[in-house]
Amino acid sequence: MSNAITILLITLLIPVVSAGIAFSVKEKYGWLIPIVSSLLLLAAAIAVLFPLFGNTQLTEQYSLPWLSIGNTSVSIGILATPITRLMAAVVLFVSAMVHIFSIGYMANEKNTDRYFGFLGLFTFAMLGLVYSTNLLITFCFWELVGFCSYRLIAHTQQKPAATQAATKAFLLTKVGDVGFLIGLLILWTQNGTLELAYITSTSGVWSTIAGLCIFIGVVGKSAQFPLFNWLPDAMQGPTPVSALIHAATMVAAGIFMLVQLVPVFTPHTLWVMTAVGIVSALMGAAGAWLVTDIKKILAYSTISQLGFMILALGLGETTGAFTHLLHHAFFKAGLFLAAGSVIHAMHQATHQTEVDVQDIRHLGGLRKQMPVTFIGFAICAAALAGIPLTSGYLSKELILTAVHQKNIWWLELSVWIIVFATPLYILRLFWFAFLKPATHVLTVNEAPWIMRLPVILLAIGSITFLFQQGHLSSFATQILQTEIAVPTSIVIISLAVTAASLLTAWLSRNLSTSSTEFLIQNFLDSINLYLIRFTTFAGSLTTTFDKKWIDRSIHTLAYGKVMLAHVAGWADRNMVDGTVHGVTWMSRGLGGLTRSVANGKIQSYLLWAMAGLLIFIIWMLY
Amino acid sequence: MGYGWLTYFYNLDALLMPYLSLLIFIPVITALVALLIPARHTRVFPWLTIGVNTIQIILFVLMLFHFQADGGLQLVEKHAWISLSLNNWGQLQAEYLVAVDGLSFSLVGLSVAIMLIATISSWHISKSRKGYFALLLILNGAIIGSFCALDFLLFYVFFEFMLLPMFFLIGIWGGPKREYASIKFFLYTLLGSIFILIVMIGLYLSVQSPENSNEVVHTFNVLHMQNLENFIPGSWFDAASSGSWRLWAFALLFIGFAIKLPAVPFHTWLPDAHVEAPTAISVVLAALLLKIGGYGILRFVYPVFPDGAVYFSDWVAGIGVVSIIYGALNALASKDLKRLIAYSSVSHMGFVLLGIASATTEGIAGAVYQMVSHGIISAMLFLIAGVLYDRTHDRLIENYSGLASQMKHYTAFVLIAFFASLGLPGFSGFIGEVLIFFGAFQSQSLNNLVPMWMPIVATLGLLLGAAYYLWTIQRMFFGPFAIRANFAELNDLTTREYAMLLPLAIMALLFGILPQILLDYINPFAESFTSTWFSLGINANP
Repeated sequence: MSNAITILLITLLIPVVSAGIAFSVKEKYGWLIPIVSSLLLLAAAIAVLFPLFGNTQLTEQYSLPWLSIGNTSVSIGILATPITRLMAAVVLFVSAMVHIFSIGYMANEKNTDRYFGFLGLFTFAMLGLVYSTNLLITFCFWELVGFCSYRLIAHTQQKPAATQAATKAFLLTKVGDVGFLIGLLILWTQNGTLELAYITSTSGVWSTIAGLCIFIGVVGKSAQFPLFNWLPDAMQGPTPVSALIHAATMVAAGIFMLVQLVPVFTPHTLWVMTAVGIVSALMGAAGAWLVTDIKKILAYSTISQLGFMILALGLGETTGAFTHLLHHAFFKAGLFLAAGSVIHAMHQATHQTEVDVQDIRHLGGLRKQMPVTFIGFAICAAALAGIPLTSGYLSKELILTAVHQKNIWWLELSVWIIVFATPLYILRLFWFAFLKPATHVLTVNEAPWIMRLPVILLAIGSITFLFQQGHLSSFATQILQTEIAVPTSIVIISLAVTAASLLTAWLSRNLSTSSTEFLIQNFLDSINLYLIRFTTFAGSLTTTFDKKWIDRSIHTLAYGKVMLAHVAGWADRNMVDGTVHGVTWMSRGLGGLTRSVANGKIQSYLLWAMAGLLIFIIWMLY
Repeated sequence: MGYGWLTYFYNLDALLMPYLSLLIFIPVITALVALLIPARHTRVFPWLTIGVNTIQIILFVLMLFHFQADGGLQLVEKHAWISLSLNNWGQLQAEYLVAVDGLSFSLVGLSVAIMLIATISSWHISKSRKGYFALLLILNGAIIGSFCALDFLLFYVFFEFMLLPMFFLIGIWGGPKREYASIKFFLYTLLGSIFILIVMIGLYLSVQSPENSNEVVHTFNVLHMQNLENFIPGSWFDAASSGSWRLWAFALLFIGFAIKLPAVPFHTWLPDAHVEAPTAISVVLAALLLKIGGYGILRFVYPVFPDGAVYFSDWVAGIGVVSIIYGALNALASKDLKRLIAYSSVSHMGFVLLGIASATTEGIAGAVYQMVSHGIISAMLFLIAGVLYDRTHDRLIENYSGLASQMKHYTAFVLIAFFASLGLPGFSGFIGEVLIFFGAFQSQSLNNLVPMWMPIVATLGLLLGAAYYLWTIQRMFFGPFAIRANFAELNDLTTREYAMLLPLAIMALLFGILPQILLDYINPFAESFTSTWFSLGINANP
């Protein structure tokens, strides 16, 4: 095991240790956990990335046999490529930010041991997924990610809405997971191995099916159409958890997996991915524009952005998608944490009254009251909207170039619509929350520094570096040495579309939708409901079948046996016993006869004996 | 694996004992001794039982040093048992033949562990403790005997000996409907026993011992039955001349063990028996008795009638898939916590059938792994149901809400058990299921026994499994605290309950994270199982 691998292994174990400490330390010292673990996580993030500064081609793999049987062997190991290192660093960094932010956010909450414990496990599961060298191990961590998100969404266990959201999230992603598992197994029958290094691209119907099944897993995990409706509901969890889920762990898992697997997918699979990506991106943007809950807007925005990435992956543009994933991790985590600050501050201002502080129509004027959060939010929102000088702009251009090269008009058109729609909803949110004059008369205090700091750090991460000579680049593009050869036409159109979108958004800023619900989600929810009803109905049918048919036939059989037993009993009493009685009677009669014979008179004995002998002799003679 | 360092401490050969006989007969003899102790000494009986359990575990640990993982059948003990000359019917020969291989060894290990936990769980039994613990000890010996016996008659004796203690343990110490449940249990299993008996007699008449070549010696030796050359030409089950008799025999024997497994549609005894049985007996029933079904199929049905196995492979796999889905749907509709767990057992044992039907190394190993894993996890599940029942005497799911806020540690174990059972990676259940899927998916291209759509349909069981467990957690443990039952106090776990649940949780986790430690024992069995199959030259139907 080389030093590099050892370091990665240590970074993998840090969150586990953090979780272990969180679970075992007494509540009194609970405040220690997030401080220690966030520092450790930050150190880990740097340790993971540092070697890449010297040598950006660094690729290493180390694996141990984990399970071997028959033709199957699965190894567990660590894959260290620039891509896994970058992803791991982002996971660790965002997780550290979330830990720091949670110190403030969860200060007055109960059960922080469980909270930080599962936060650590969540990070661990995601890192394991990133480092994995074998798809089966990837699947294991994939499931663990789902489990941790389930526990974290349902953190406030007494709140029915939160627990329902958690169950929904787990079950809908489980639908995807089952698809993923089928895909893996088919891939295994095709390739004979699940080692990432040895999976080769094959063609044929089964390969397409395998790819599609794996993609179903991604659809579930990354909340794409039609399995996305768990994500807006998952906003019931604590806001820092949402930040982690949306930025670096849960939903990022699907995209990250695809980044590694897209090269082996068949063209058919890729087209399906593109189509799903477009639909999800458009629909997510529409949803984000329609709803009024601050967290739900961000949730729909995530769906839209992930759809954008999947679209790019479907076109084979892995670098663009991957850099966008990393950039998205920063600005989306920043947006969520800023939103968390707002919610936290509003909660304190309203003294926990019944006002729905997450509804953007109740917010306003926070620019002056929370200036730091305002700036952080603004930068992250700009990155989301794809405004120049932000990281989001860079990766957006990469994807747009890839789309342009395909030269398919409907593809290009739909992508331009996505580009147009994104600033629309985020500016609306920004206006309502920060710029618009306040409708309330509350005194809202800026969040404590421990909550401001992560927001600012994440915002800084969303800005492109200015020190690079020649062109601007983000951290990720620099490490990946991406040549940004974006055609000028794309740059101009993109800027124009963004500007037009911002203008439209500004002009329609006060337009508030009367419906706060997103119809497509309601539609999908009702489909889910029907599926659940159907399943429970099937369950009641099988239960009835058990009782009515199987048990009844068993009972009939048993009654038949009892009847038979009765018949036999009757026969016993009247026939067998009768016979026996008859025999007894007869033998008694005979006994009487013999008794009278055996009456002790020797002469008569002799007489009978003689007679017997006589009869015997006569019988012998004949 | 070298245990060379151990010889520094003692000479291993000096510790060669008739391990299996000791494992089987120490509990039986102790049961007889217990009968001599006056019933008023109620404290003696559990301690006696736990002593036996401890001795068994020590013996098993010693066995670990002697057992060669890839050594086939070993620790053999063979003694003449019954030898009768029956003139025209030839020589009747039954032996006391016990041995273990990877399959039985792992199940014996499971048995000694589960029996200890069952004893701890029986601690507060108050109704005639003497009888209870004596029956538990007899059950203990019979279960281990069933796993070790390689003579069919001997197996059958142990098999029948299991039913009787079980019948009384449910019928006397059970819940309100215990008589119904115990009679149902008895009738079902008796039906299975009769099927097994019929085939056993047929086999006995058809198989001759290759050890005596000059005269026909009928034998119950299973190893002889597994070799087609030992069948007397022209006899019932002779492969060359029997026609469809062998297929009938396969079907009967299979049903006999499928009842025990239980597979749909022979399963309705299970929920009733579980619901009525006291906790410890539920644990033994789910963790060990069901395994006899899977064990019987792997040891007797498939190796003795491979042609039938090939012929009926679709059916076996189909019954497996139906059990998976049907059991899961029933679990979803269950209102009683114990009934839910019982039906989940049906669902999980369906996976065992699917793995066996594939007859691939992965599938067979997966089936064995699933049996061990289900033994651990189902024991946990029933203990969990028992914890709640002890406190409230109510098992209806709808009567609880928000238990998580009252019983923190209990909820943690419930989550572990539920998620282990629904196949979360990191727990043993996942390994078993994934291996079975590996086997079932490649079966179509490898030996054409199980069509690919069957395991694909079976994955639906995973989804349903997640659904019923999560729904139960949601209803019982989350939400605001409310309870609709009369209860004295709703305390969190006691030390005794910890002592039962924690080892099981650790075992489930250990076998989930390091599967190879168990697979090292199972693999040689699975490989020899499939290779003998192929050497028989029986190919799948075209």
